[in-house]
Amino acid sequence: MIDPLIQGLLLVLQWKALAFMLLGIGLGFWVGLLPGLGGATTLALMLPFIYTMQPAEAFAFLLGMHSVCATTGDITSVLFGVPGEATTAAVILDGHAMAKKGEAGRALGAALASSLVGALVGALALVLAIPIVRPLVLSFGSPELFMLAIVGLAFIASLSSQGARGMLRGFAAGALGLLLATVGQDPQAGVARFTLDTLYLWQGLDLVPVLVGMFAIPEIVDLAVRGTSIAGELPPGRLNKGAWEGVKDTFRHFGLTIRCSLIGTFIGIMPGLGGSVAQWMAYGHATQSAKNAEEQKGFGQGDVRGVLGPCAATNSKEGGALIPTIAFGVPGSTAMAILLGGFFLMGLVPGPDMLTTYLPITFSMAWTIVLANVITVVVSFLFLNRLAAITSVRGTLLIPVILVLVFIGSYTANSNYGDLVVTLVFGGIGYLMVLGGWPRAPFVLGLVLGKIVENYLYISMARYGSSWLTRPVVLVLFVVAVVVILYPLVQARRTAARRGAHA
Amino acid sequence: MRSKASLSVDSKASLSLGLVIMALSGWAVVSAFEWPWKAALFPLAIGIPMFLLAGAEVLWVILGSAHRGEAKDFQLSQHLPARVALRRTASVMAWTLGFFAAIVLLGFQIAVPLLVFLYLKAAGRESWKLSIVFTAVVWAIFYGLFDYLLHLPFPDGWIQTAIGIG
Repeated sequence: MIDPLIQGLLLVLQWKALAFMLLGIGLGFWVGLLPGLGGATTLALMLPFIYTMQPAEAFAFLLGMHSVCATTGDITSVLFGVPGEATTAAVILDGHAMAKKGEAGRALGAALASSLVGALVGALALVLAIPIVRPLVLSFGSPELFMLAIVGLAFIASLSSQGARGMLRGFAAGALGLLLATVGQDPQAGVARFTLDTLYLWQGLDLVPVLVGMFAIPEIVDLAVRGTSIAGELPPGRLNKGAWEGVKDTFRHFGLTIRCSLIGTFIGIMPGLGGSVAQWMAYGHATQSAKNAEEQKGFGQGDVRGVLGPCAATNSKEGGALIPTIAFGVPGSTAMAILLGGFFLMGLVPGPDMLTTYLPITFSMAWTIVLANVITVVVSFLFLNRLAAITSVRGTLLIPVILVLVFIGSYTANSNYGDLVVTLVFGGIGYLMVLGGWPRAPFVLGLVLGKIVENYLYISMARYGSSWLTRPVVLVLFVVAVVVILYPLVQARRTAARRGAHA
Repeated sequence: MRSKASLSVDSKASLSLGLVIMALSGWAVVSAFEWPWKAALFPLAIGIPMFLLAGAEVLWVILGSAHRGEAKDFQLSQHLPARVALRRTASVMAWTLGFFAAIVLLGFQIAVPLLVFLYLKAAGRESWKLSIVFTAVVWAIFYGLFDYLLHLPFPDGWIQTAIGIG
């Protein structure tokens, strides 16, 4: 085990592989910063360039590029409230709120440090998990994966609002997301569902224009209403001082960071769930770490734990997603499916060979994730103070730039004007949700999970009838979902009773 | 039961959302009944409880509840007088829609510098010098990055296409 591990490191440190990795990091750095231009899309665009490379060089290039996208996407999310990547939307809730309080530096420091910890945990998981992961993945069939998604939705719907009414809104928002995920041609019967007789909607709603509209438009409106910079009237001197404080926050809440990294790794391992799910699950878990109702109210207002959790999970899921891709040829996400194409271009077949003959190449991938993230975090820290100072630029200069980014970001999803309409519609819905006090997180998770959940439900019903409901793991997950729903209500009742006793 | 006129802005927003979701889920359920079960299973499984949840929220608003139900999400600024906030909200939404219309009619290449310059001059009341330099920088970044380097396909606007100069 040690020898292949060292051989893997030496493969990455060869000058050509290192140069390609640096090139990939440079590309990924900017792709991550630009809203809408996704890491998976860029992977697909770069795939043809690896023909002439050796396997270790090709994976250093592709993985180096892909693994930093989420890290730098967090920077855009924190500073502008526009998701740099679909996988970095959850960071906006508290990260951008911190930027508005004049704590952009601290939020960025926390985002980068927790991203690094997450990436290291994911890479370590990749190294350690390969021999033991096979039985775990194979024990989860469609019914279990369906219930796992339901637990995730229950988690985020119950924890993203206060009280029974907040929970009701959370579930309604989650259901809306699930229903809108069914827009487009149904994969089982081929029926065009809710397409309004337009060709654009046949492929369903693309996540990028929906997310960009839902998160960016309300922020733009608020920035215009306030008539100030993102950080308001706070003195500029405060804005760029907190980066180191953010790093310390990561270690103050180290347990949370590690737990969210493990959530991300686990979600990464599960085929089809992906980073968009991991960030919201981790955000749900981070809100759960609040000790009381008062602390819970701080989430969404700029609690650093709401930054640490999603950033750690988003970055750790890469290592996790590589496990089923390498071991079984089952890609855990769209990006991994594209990477799988890279395997075949290199003449490598995922499976037992990657764990024996080509084990050094497998380990070189883990090393690439580690090195790419270390380099990105170090480089980002050099520019952090300047980046944080953007929050003191007045709103009248920022609004047109953000609007340009919003429309270009959503247009690049499909190069169709329909994307712009979708952005505007969901911008309106997002604004109404924020105005009415509805949580947006369950909606997004519903939209992300919808297609997968429907597929798992259909396969479960077709294969097992209703008997899938009695499978042991399904029952355990059902109990977990019930506990997740009831726990905040019981906790709120206890707090109210305690207050009544003190009064 | 309280009158609709007495509803606060957030209650009106919540009521609107509840009604929209009820209408959407109702339409989804009615549509799904016409499809084969393979296609209808999931929309029905989601649409019916969604209709009930949204209905409960609508009733909650109409019957009146002091408890707003805070979301762990970002909150809009509330320190400004309602009239000022409403005017600025309407203004920025008009700019957003105007930008969309400009993109469709004139294409990104013209709409981007046009929006940036007009916003800086009309909404931001910036100086001529700053407006021109800032617009040039934004346009150079837009053109250099998205058009020249990434070769993203930005089509001409409907106007150029209609008059045959696209």
